[in-house]
Amino acid sequence: MSTGSRLYVYGIVHADRTLPPSTRGVGRPPARVGLLPVGALAALVSDVPPDLRARRRDLMAHQELLTALGTEGPVLPMRFGMVAEDAAAVERAVRAAAPTHLAALGRLESRTEMNLKAMPVQSAVEALVRDDAGVRRLAADVRRRPSYEGNVRLGQAVAEGLARRATEAADEALRTLVRLAEEVVRGPEVPGCVLNASFLVPQARGERFRAAVEQFAAAHQERVELRLTGPLPCYSFVPREPEEFEESRSSPKPPGSPASPASEEGEAPGSPDGPAVRPSAVGS
Amino acid sequence: MTTTTYNEAAVCVPRAGTLYDVLELILDRGMVIDIFVRVSLVGIEILKIDARIVVASVDTYLRFAEVCNRLDLNQDASSRTVPDLFAGMAGGVARGGAKKAAKSVGGKVKDAIGMGDEDDDVEREDYDAPDEEEPEEAPRARRGSGSRSRTASASRAGSRAARRTQEA
Repeated sequence: MSTGSRLYVYGIVHADRTLPPSTRGVGRPPARVGLLPVGALAALVSDVPPDLRARRRDLMAHQELLTALGTEGPVLPMRFGMVAEDAAAVERAVRAAAPTHLAALGRLESRTEMNLKAMPVQSAVEALVRDDAGVRRLAADVRRRPSYEGNVRLGQAVAEGLARRATEAADEALRTLVRLAEEVVRGPEVPGCVLNASFLVPQARGERFRAAVEQFAAAHQERVELRLTGPLPCYSFVPREPEEFEESRSSPKPPGSPASPASEEGEAPGSPDGPAVRPSAVGS
Repeated sequence: MTTTTYNEAAVCVPRAGTLYDVLELILDRGMVIDIFVRVSLVGIEILKIDARIVVASVDTYLRFAEVCNRLDLNQDASSRTVPDLFAGMAGGVARGGAKKAAKSVGGKVKDAIGMGDEDDDVEREDYDAPDEEEPEEAPRARRGSGSRSRTASASRAGSRAARRTQEA
């Protein structure tokens, strides 16, 4: 790892962490990862492979490195693909926000992120028809007078009905699960998902959280499909830059646009009736 | 047997380490430091948008309507015929029940950017291709590249059909 050239930055940890000498990151062959100490903190860095892009192996390398380190102590995970001009730039950046980073590391100590995605159950058409008089009426109409337009209308009503039932069930799941979590934030909108939420969960409570999700999924399998992923690096619970609150991928706000008054820092465990979630950034 | 399929399809199957389920977290969450630059993610953005179109397409609606039309509306609520109906359908969304249906969109993205569960080396040529394209060209180019679709399935064929419907 040369320090005079550009550096890929994986995350920030306490300075007293040690890395196994075999720790590797992005690139092919995978670049050696080292610690760049900055006061009480250290940045996890490696050389930047030429032609770095969001390839599968590089995404995996980023993810696996942070996941592995997260099991031994708190890590502030960087977003994939952050590259610093040189070691001095990393030092400047880490030093400038050191108090924030230290506080965040303290908050994430012994905690992990669990991500829950909820999707409509596409095979639950029969249950929908059984329960939804509107869809049943449309289906009967189409049967009496088959037409292309009628089929499109019926199919759209089914799709919307399935999504509505999934959304309702997902909201219930959120209210249940928020009690087991310390924080919850909505993730970016994902096509096909009615809910994408991340929970900050004490590591010791991870299995209980998983069991609760499984129990809910089994009890509501006609309404919603749940996918739980975790333990994960705490991507959703790191300090955010102010201008990111209103971020939208398709129409980025100019730098310096007014920040949302809501702060994720302040989003303590939500009440069962009103989980503290922020509106997801809707892309395109 | 169909009951088993049905249950497995709907029950939560927690998985750790599957990249697709956390792709948006790795790309859109995590810490950002403004003096750092970011590698280009152009290809991935396009694929996300592309996937979204397929979810609410006329093609999907017609497949749902077909399922409805094959339901016996007077049948007992506990009937187990739905998985059979889905399994017998030609379209991709329904094949194999909810689990695969839910994956069909994700599967397409995975295939396209080389994030399937297969070995890295096998897929490397595949995923390098799409994001070489200009943003506007990427979906079109991929659609025509049937030879790349070694993992092609009915669901991808269905997706392509859906896109054609959208453009028509």
